[in-house]
Amino acid sequence: MTGRRIGLIQNSKFLLVRSSMTADLNSYLFVGAVLFVCGVVCMATKRNGIGVLMGVELVLNGANVNFVAFSRYTDLGLDGQVFSLFVIVLAAAEAAVALAIALNFYNNHLTIDVDRANKLKG
Amino acid sequence: MVGETLRNLLMIAWLLPLAGFAVEIFGGFWGSRKSRVAAWMSVGCIGIGFLCSLSALLIWGNSNSWTVLDHDSHDETHVDTDHAKPADALATDTHPSPDSHTSHPPVVRGKTVYSGTLYYLARFGSLDISLDYYIDSLTLVMFTMVTFIATCIHLFAMGYMSEELTEELVDHSAHLSNGHHVHRPGRYYRFFAFLSLFCFSMLGLVLAGNIFQVFIFWELVGICSFLLIGFYTERKSACNAANKAFIMNRVGDFGFLIGLMVLWTFFGTFRFGETVNDTGEVQAGLFQMLARDETGNVLRDAASGDVKIGAVTTGADPGGNRTIPYSLLVVAGLGVFAGCVGKSAQFPLQTWLPDAMEGPTPVSALVHSATMVAAGVYLVGRFYPMFVQEVLLTIAYVGCITLFMAATIAIVATDIKKVLAYSTISQLGYMMLGLGVFGWGAGLFHLITHAFFKSLMFLCSGSVIYGCHHEQEMPKMGGLWRKMPITAFTMLVGVIAISGLAIPGLIGLSSVFAFSGFFSKDAVVATSLAFVKDNPSHFLLFIVPLITAGITAFYMFRLWFYTFAGKPRDQHLYDHCHESPWIMTGPLLALSFFAAFCAIGGEDGPLYRLITGDQPAHIAHGIAAAAGSGEITLPGHDAIHDVHGTAGTLALIAAASGTCLAWLLYGTTLVNVAEIRRQLSGLHGFLVDKWHFDEMYDALFVKPAHVVGQGCAWIDKTVFDGIIHASAKIMIFVSKWDKLFDEAVVDGFVNLLGNSTFAFGRSLRVIQTGRLRQYVMFIVVGVVALFAILFTTFPG
Amino acid sequence: MNGESFLFTVFALATCLGAIAVVFSQTVVRMAFWLVISLGSTAALFFLANADFVGAAQLLIYVGGTLVLLVFGVMLTASGPYLKIATSPGEIVMGSCVGLLFLVVVYASLNGVNWRKSPAAATENSNPVVATGKTLRPIGLSFLGSRPDQDLTSDGDTLTPGYLLPFEIVSVHLLVVLIGAAYLARAKRRAGE
Repeated sequence: MTGRRIGLIQNSKFLLVRSSMTADLNSYLFVGAVLFVCGVVCMATKRNGIGVLMGVELVLNGANVNFVAFSRYTDLGLDGQVFSLFVIVLAAAEAAVALAIALNFYNNHLTIDVDRANKLKG
Repeated sequence: MVGETLRNLLMIAWLLPLAGFAVEIFGGFWGSRKSRVAAWMSVGCIGIGFLCSLSALLIWGNSNSWTVLDHDSHDETHVDTDHAKPADALATDTHPSPDSHTSHPPVVRGKTVYSGTLYYLARFGSLDISLDYYIDSLTLVMFTMVTFIATCIHLFAMGYMSEELTEELVDHSAHLSNGHHVHRPGRYYRFFAFLSLFCFSMLGLVLAGNIFQVFIFWELVGICSFLLIGFYTERKSACNAANKAFIMNRVGDFGFLIGLMVLWTFFGTFRFGETVNDTGEVQAGLFQMLARDETGNVLRDAASGDVKIGAVTTGADPGGNRTIPYSLLVVAGLGVFAGCVGKSAQFPLQTWLPDAMEGPTPVSALVHSATMVAAGVYLVGRFYPMFVQEVLLTIAYVGCITLFMAATIAIVATDIKKVLAYSTISQLGYMMLGLGVFGWGAGLFHLITHAFFKSLMFLCSGSVIYGCHHEQEMPKMGGLWRKMPITAFTMLVGVIAISGLAIPGLIGLSSVFAFSGFFSKDAVVATSLAFVKDNPSHFLLFIVPLITAGITAFYMFRLWFYTFAGKPRDQHLYDHCHESPWIMTGPLLALSFFAAFCAIGGEDGPLYRLITGDQPAHIAHGIAAAAGSGEITLPGHDAIHDVHGTAGTLALIAAASGTCLAWLLYGTTLVNVAEIRRQLSGLHGFLVDKWHFDEMYDALFVKPAHVVGQGCAWIDKTVFDGIIHASAKIMIFVSKWDKLFDEAVVDGFVNLLGNSTFAFGRSLRVIQTGRLRQYVMFIVVGVVALFAILFTTFPG
Repeated sequence: MNGESFLFTVFALATCLGAIAVVFSQTVVRMAFWLVISLGSTAALFFLANADFVGAAQLLIYVGGTLVLLVFGVMLTASGPYLKIATSPGEIVMGSCVGLLFLVVVYASLNGVNWRKSPAAATENSNPVVATGKTLRPIGLSFLGSRPDQDLTSDGDTLTPGYLLPFEIVSVHLLVVLIGAAYLARAKRRAGE
C-alpha cells in the first residue's frame, strides 16, 4: 500500500504515456480495464438477456487479460496463465448454464427481455 | 451395671408401645378393618412392657437385697429408708443429725437411685435439652402399675371395641344435619394405635429424668387424651369434650411453663438427679441443688432471706454462691403445681374430666382414672423436694376443696360413668391433700391403690354399658347382678376398696382386714390429723376429708345398689342385657385381685415400703417451724404414727355410716328417695349443675371473650374495612387516570415509533425495483462512490 | 515504435473498440459479431504476451465454443435474428457516463500502484519460461503436479505445488455443468402428451 500513488492528478506523464502505446504492463492492464468496464456497462444497459451474457463474457475477458499480463511482466510465472485457463473453462461452463437459464426464461415469458423479470419488485 | 440393666429394661417397656403405634396406625392400609391384628400387637407391646417392668422391679430389689422391705430397720429403730439413700448418705453422714435415733449407725444399703442421660436432643447456650432417666423405687412401682393396668385394659378393650370391627358402622349417637345416623368405617386399629401412643407417653413421663422432658411427655399425654376423648369425632359432644380437656390443660400448662422458666433461670438445669456428662464430670441435679438444713427447712441467706443454691452431695458449691429469692421458689412450685392441677383435674380446672367420659369406656379407665390424671399427682410427688411450705399448704387446700366438691356432685349424678368420674376427681383430691400435708408416701400410696380399684370400676362400668347396649343411665338399671354376676362381684370389690371399709381385729389385735383403699385413705387421713394437730388453725384439712370419706362410701354404694341390686326398673333393658365375654371379665378378675390385696399390710406392707423406698430426705422427720414465726409445722413419721389409730377409727366410722345410709336409701325400700330429693330440691339442683362451675366459667371467660370478639368484629367491619375500602377506591381513581395516561402518552409513543418504522420501510420499498440491470448499475455506482470516498479520505 | 508495440497497439485498439461496439450495438447478431472481434483480438494479445497456450485456448473455447453457444441461444430464443429490444437513450447515456467514471477510477488505481515489488524483478524477462513463450510443456507439467518454472523444493513443502487437483475438479465441474445445462434446456413435454 505504501507504494501506491494516485495517478490521476499527480502523474503528469499520463497523456504522454497513453499517446504512444507500448506493450508494457500498464497498457495491458488498461485494455483489461476497458474490457471490464464495457462488460459492466453492457450488463447494465442491455435489456436482451443474451446481451447481458455477452457483458459477462467481456468482464471475464478483462480479468483474463490482467492475469496474462501479470504472468508476463512480473515474477508470477505460470500461475497467471493457468488461472486464465481456469477462467476460460469456467466461462464456458457459465455460458452453458446461463443459456439454459435464458431458454427457460424464454419458455416462461415468451421473451428474452430481462426487464420483464421483475418478480422481486418490492 | 444394675443401673444399665434397669435402664435397658425400662426403655424396652417404654419404646415398644411407640413401635407398636408406628405400625398399628397404618392398620387401615395394610390390613382389613375386620382384623384384630392391631389389637394383639398393641397388647403384645404393653404386655412385654409389663414383663420388663416387673423384672426391672425384681432386679432392683435384689440389687439392694430387698432391704426396703426390711421390717426391723423401719419400724423399731426408725432409721428411715432415706438415710440409706446413697445420694444423700454422704450429706447426712457428714453432719450429726439432731434426731436421737441416728445415734445408731445407719444401715448401709445398696445404691437405689439411678439417673443418667439417654440422648442429647439439643443444646442452646447453657441449656441442655436431653432425654434423661431417673429410676428409683417410685419410678419402678409406677412402671409396673401402669403397664399392668394398661395390659388389662387393652385386653378388655379388645372385647369392648369389637363393634368397630366392621367396614360400615352406624353411630347411633351422631346425627347428620338431615337427621340420619352417621355411617362410617370401623376404627378398631386406630383405637389401639392411640392406646399404644398413650402408653408410650405415660411411660416416658414416668421415666423422665428432667422436668423439661416431663413437660414434653406431659403434652404428649394431653394429645393422646385429646385423640381418645374425641375418638367418636362424629359426635358433637365428643368433639367439645376433647377440646375442653385440651384447653383446660393448656391453662395449667401455662403455669407449668412459668415454673420451668423460673427454675432454669436460677438453677440452670432441668435434671432431677446427678448425671455424669460426656467429660465424666458429675453435674448436680435440681434435687441436689436445693439444700436443706437439719430441720428440713431450705437453707436461706441470713441477710437477704434468699434461698441458697448448693450441692447436697458433694458439699461443693456448683452454683457459686447463687441464690434464688424465696418468693420465686414459691412461684416455681406453684407454677409446676398449676400444671398438675390441670392434668389431675383439681379445683378450679376440674370440669374437663367428667366431660371426658364421652370417650370409649376403656379410655376412661386407662386415661382418666389410672394413669393420665395420676400424672399430675406423680409429678407433685416426683418434684416434692422443690416444694416449700407455702406451696404444700396450697396443694393441701386445693386437694381439700376438690375432694369435697367432687364427692358432693357424685351423690346426685345418675350417669354411671359420671359418678366414677367425680369419684376420680375426689380421690385425686385426696392424693393432693395427702401430699400437701407432708404425707408423701400416703399420697402416692393412694395413687397406686386408687389406680387399681378405679380402673377396675371403670372397666366394670364398661362391662355394664356393653352388656346393656350402651345404656349409661343408672335409673334404668337395677338388679343386674343376676345377669352379670362376675361384673357385679368385681364391682363390689372395687366399691368396698374405695369406700375404705374394713373389719378390725380379724387377723391380729393391732391389724385389720381390709381392701387396699382402706389403708391408703387411712394413711392420708392420719397424716392430715397429725398436720392439724400441729397447726390447729387448719382444722378443715382434717374435718373435710373425714366427712368426705363418709360421702365417698355413700355414693359408691349408691352406685352399686342402683345398678346391681333391687328390682329391674327397665324390663326391656334387663331382658336384653348379658354378661360380657371372657376377654372382658378376665381383666376384671385380675384387677379385682389387686384392688383387694395390693396394699396388704398397710403402711408396713410391701407396697408402701416400695413406694417410700427412695422418699425425699427431709420427709421422715417433718419440718418444725421456727417458734413464733407463724409458719406451719409439717409432721414427721413419728407424729403421724402417733395419731394413726385415732384417724383410722374415725375414718372407718365415717365410711361405715356412709355405707349404712346408702343401704338405707337405695338398698332397701324403707325411705323414699324421691321425697328427700324434692325436699332438698335447691341443694340437689345446685349439685346436679356441678356447683355451677361451667356456668361460672361461661360468664367469667367465655361471655367476655364473646363480647370482646364482637367488639373486635365491629372495629374490623367499620374501621379496618372502611380504611381498606377507601384505599381501594383511591386505587381505582388513580388507576383510571393512569389508564388515560397510558393510552395517550405511552401508547401514543409506541404507536408513533411503529408507524414511523413502517413508513420508512414502505419508502425503502421503492428502491426494490426488481430490475436486474438497475441492480448492476447500483453496484457500479456503489463501487465508484466507495473508491471516490477512499481516494478523497486517504489521498496518500 | 517496434513491431511488438505496433501489433499490440493494433490488437489493443481492436479489442477495446470491439468491446465498445458490443455495448452500443442494438441487435443481438451485431453484438455477437463485435464480440467475436473483441475476443479474437484478445487472443492475439495473449499471443503477444507470450501466452501461446492461453491464446489458443481462448480461440478454441471462446471464439469457437462459447460464441457458437451464444448464437444457438440467439436462434432458440429470439423471434428473429434482428430483434431489437431497445434501450432508452437516457439509460445508454447514463450507463456511458457511469462507465467512463468507472474506467477513470480503475485506471487511476492501476496507475497508482507500483507493480514491481523488488529491483530484482524489474526486468521484463524475469521469468525465462514465460518470456520465451514456450509455455505449452510447462503448463501441461503444472497440470500434472510439477512446476519446472519455479524452484519450490527449497522450502520443503511436501504438498504438490502444481494444479493437478484443480484440474481434476474443473473436469468434473465441466461434466456436471454440461449435464445440468442439458437438463435445464431440454424440451419440456406437456402433461398428457
